[in-house]
Amino acid sequence: MTKRVSLLLLFLLIFAAALTLRVSRYDYAMQDRDAIMAPSSAQHSTGTDELGRDRTVRVAAALLIGLAGATVAAAITTMIAASFGLLAAFSPPWLASILLFISDVFLSLPWLFLLMMVRSLLPLTVSPLVTAVATFLVLAVLGWPACARAIYRGAVALRESEWMIHGHACGLRPWQLMRLHLLPHLRPLLLPQFLISVPAFIAAEANLGALGLGVGEPMPSWGSMLLELDNSALLARSHWIYLPIALLVVVLLILDSFTSEVGASA
Amino acid sequence: MSLLSAIAIRAARTVLLVFVAAAGTILLVRFAPGFFSDAREMDARYAEAARAEIQAQQQQSVYTIALEEARGWFKGEFGVSRQYNVPVSELIADRAAVSASLLARGILLGWLLAACMALPISGLRKGRLLWSLPSTCLLAIPAAAMATACILADVGGPVLVLSLLIAARDFKFLRSLLEGAWRSPHLLHARARGLSAPALVRMHILPNVAPQLCALATLSIVTALGALVPIEVIFTVPGVGQLAWSAVMNRDLPVLVAITFLMASVVGFAGMLSPRDFTQEAA
Repeated sequence: MTKRVSLLLLFLLIFAAALTLRVSRYDYAMQDRDAIMAPSSAQHSTGTDELGRDRTVRVAAALLIGLAGATVAAAITTMIAASFGLLAAFSPPWLASILLFISDVFLSLPWLFLLMMVRSLLPLTVSPLVTAVATFLVLAVLGWPACARAIYRGAVALRESEWMIHGHACGLRPWQLMRLHLLPHLRPLLLPQFLISVPAFIAAEANLGALGLGVGEPMPSWGSMLLELDNSALLARSHWIYLPIALLVVVLLILDSFTSEVGASA
Repeated sequence: MSLLSAIAIRAARTVLLVFVAAAGTILLVRFAPGFFSDAREMDARYAEAARAEIQAQQQQSVYTIALEEARGWFKGEFGVSRQYNVPVSELIADRAAVSASLLARGILLGWLLAACMALPISGLRKGRLLWSLPSTCLLAIPAAAMATACILADVGGPVLVLSLLIAARDFKFLRSLLEGAWRSPHLLHARARGLSAPALVRMHILPNVAPQLCALATLSIVTALGALVPIEVIFTVPGVGQLAWSAVMNRDLPVLVAITFLMASVVGFAGMLSPRDFTQEAA
């Protein structure tokens, strides 16, 4: 029940954001020089930022960019984790030890610190689209170790199962065993790992953005919206400045609720 | 395998992990775009010296850089900071105390909050979902957003934000841990015999969940270290987190390697607190 409600709310939010971008006469980067830091008005329903850009459009775009980026990054990270976990589970013990040691090296540093370090070492002065791609790619590339460990444990348990031995005895090739038996059995493990990664990546992007290491301007993102809260002049003019942070929390709550429901049913 | 040799193997593995993490940092920073750029080039007073330094660095191979770093470590100063031009050990020593104090206070308060919430809620038969709502909401707020909100509302400070983050995370694990403990048959028996709730917690629950609590403590330290950077940057706390942020923004390799070394050591040795690993390795 909660799963359906969460999904419905999420779709409503996505639909509302897409509709806002479609019907609005403003672009997320368009500056209205006559309405800088404007409060709510007929032209700008939730006001504008310090460059006169429409806040509703920017929040809608940030929501879609954040969700799309995090979903793609979560899919990539789950694929990397699945490949890594399966490789470790089905390789000789010495190779498995090396692979697990590599994942431990990544896990030996706090994730946000590692993210910040890697993201800051990539070019920062490139086009906004490249920064967005780089940010989510870094999240995808660094998010796999914990997930890979869980998949490794699951795959090791399945490796010893009777039907796997039976499949081997029947002459199935390793990739056939993997496609026909292993991956379907690992689905209850992979799906929650993917779903957990989506809100985690959205929150991580917001944290990186707040440190100035997220998606570049003028492309809107949750992180750049949080940076807006540092502007005391803007804070005094409109309460709509809190809209992005409120919406971010709502989106993360919906995703968390959906993830825990799916995890419980899996 | 004896427990002692399991501890020795784990310690050796941790040391190796820390060194590989430090070596990885050197490689990463050395090949980062913009490594051969220096903010001092913008200032006419320091531009010439900065360019000379960059030219000298361009001649160095990764091996030479690693060797210089190692030499700095042996001297006990961990090299010289590129942006502050002082020994890294001095920079870290000043800031480590600030961060350690923040971490200690934040973790202790976080544990206290989590325990105070989880102990009564885990014993409830109804309304657990409602009581868990604050922690679910807190978990949904990124550390940076929480810190910014605190500054805006002029409420609390870095310790409060850190403790709320830890409390929200620990509460989730602690609650499920305690729920399992409350449901165990021997506890049902003890309850049926009329043992009071505080006595049950002291005599049955806490001894049963103690090993998992150690693992949870490790997780709290990792969570706290991760949250340290945004919290210190947003609240302008002069700690190691802020130094790390400043170092990555300026590609200050010696500082970055030293902080990576420090963080990996703390996480690695905190991981050794978990007794489960020893018993698994000893088995």
